[in-house]
Amino acid sequence: MKAQQIMAAGDPGSTDIWALANSPVLRLCALGVFAVIFVQCVLYKRAVKKAAPHVDMPLAEVKESFRAGAVASIGPSLAVVLVAIALLALFGTPAVLVRIGLIGSAAAETGSASISASTMGAALGGETYTQQVFGVAFMAMSLSGAIWMICTLIMTPLLKKGGNNLAKRNPAVMALVPTAALLGAFSALTIAELPKVQRPHDSGLHLRGHDGLVPLSGQDASAQMAEGMGVGYFHRRLDYCRLFLAYRLRNHHDCDTTTFQR
Amino acid sequence: MTATPQLSSADASIERFEKQTSRYGRNTMIIGLVLSLIGPIYIAFFSGLEITGSMVWVAFLAVAGTFGVLWIVEPLTYFPILGSAAMYQAFMIGNISNKLLPAAIVAQSTIGAKPGTKRGDLAAVMAICGAATVHLTSLLLLVGLLGTWLVSLIPAEITDVARLYILPSLMGAVLVQSIVAMKSLRPTVIAIVLALLMTFVFVPLAPSLAMFATAIVVICSTVFSWVLRDRKKTYTSES
Repeated sequence: MKAQQIMAAGDPGSTDIWALANSPVLRLCALGVFAVIFVQCVLYKRAVKKAAPHVDMPLAEVKESFRAGAVASIGPSLAVVLVAIALLALFGTPAVLVRIGLIGSAAAETGSASISASTMGAALGGETYTQQVFGVAFMAMSLSGAIWMICTLIMTPLLKKGGNNLAKRNPAVMALVPTAALLGAFSALTIAELPKVQRPHDSGLHLRGHDGLVPLSGQDASAQMAEGMGVGYFHRRLDYCRLFLAYRLRNHHDCDTTTFQR
Repeated sequence: MTATPQLSSADASIERFEKQTSRYGRNTMIIGLVLSLIGPIYIAFFSGLEITGSMVWVAFLAVAGTFGVLWIVEPLTYFPILGSAAMYQAFMIGNISNKLLPAAIVAQSTIGAKPGTKRGDLAAVMAICGAATVHLTSLLLLVGLLGTWLVSLIPAEITDVARLYILPSLMGAVLVQSIVAMKSLRPTVIAIVLALLMTFVFVPLAPSLAMFATAIVVICSTVFSWVLRDRKKTYTSES
């Protein structure tokens, strides 16, 4: 009995996702990812502090950079938290933390999950969203995220070598490229927001439907969700079809908080 | 900032920094990658769900069809801005364009460093550390511990507002800030014109472009800025 409680005992046909998605093994793995990122930060901070004085960068500026980054990320972090909470019912806490909070983003991961579910003739949320579908979707989105990381691991050293060579041969390129890339990235990201904000009603409608997940009443929502969420299902299923379409139209790995808007 | 008097020492220490961060970055990323796969492998194959390899393959290929190009395009797009050290951080922490890039640019302009320079790279790494600290804490507390309870408290309207308005307001502020910090007129004009064209002309014409819109704008702004650069002005690689 005890062993069964620790080991997640799956039932392919069950729609009780949380029974599986919140298993202790997954929680441990999620904590592990948190720990790895935390360790990485500590190591990086140490490396920066060692290198900074040699490039005319006083430690005060190092600290200031850290603080500026922390303050600048409060708003976006809160947005990610809210979206993550809205998706808890679908993927359970550990998967939401790792896939949506870290590594990936709500947009890419919910899209991946939705696509995976559709290959099994199912839709996220709803009677077809069984533990088996969740398992396949979770596996597929994790694999996709893993390849993203593998590409980063392979390409970063190559790009660095290329950049260094270019910097030696033509320093002007290296002065101009990051500036132009950054301005290009933020212009594109900012201006892509314009058409979305102009149509708040349009997106509002869609969002409200999607947020069948978040009950407006003060009832015990967690109990509701654990039960299997009753009526919201049908609406959500429709919504995820729309979400899926929205995906194909406007897809950004990272634009996560707004991708649901269309 | 003018050229440093002890250039060789600066170069040596930066080289050491890059070697260290590459090693740390690579190793932590590989561990993160393995940890992120253990969970789903366990769920899919060791918990009695009767999932077969072919189910996973079909689903994975469908996902790859949608995102496959981005696996390569994204690292290419963000490398010039982040620098090699921050790449390993960014792609493990995720939420790059909506959180890490703004944090990096805010930090760079706070201390007056340009992206692509040594100070700029160091500032970006520290900013990402700061952002990661805030992010990890808020996720762990608000989602990990209080998530199920908060679900019952947060009205849908607030989530809507967050989704709708936080990102645009942040992006607008960061764009203005980066324009001010860069002080380079031509690339600014080129980038904005290209972004406007992309959003209001090309994407409506060919919606499938939307997926690559950012990458296309980044690459085109870089190329056009280079071709149309002010040839009288001499660019230096240091800020």
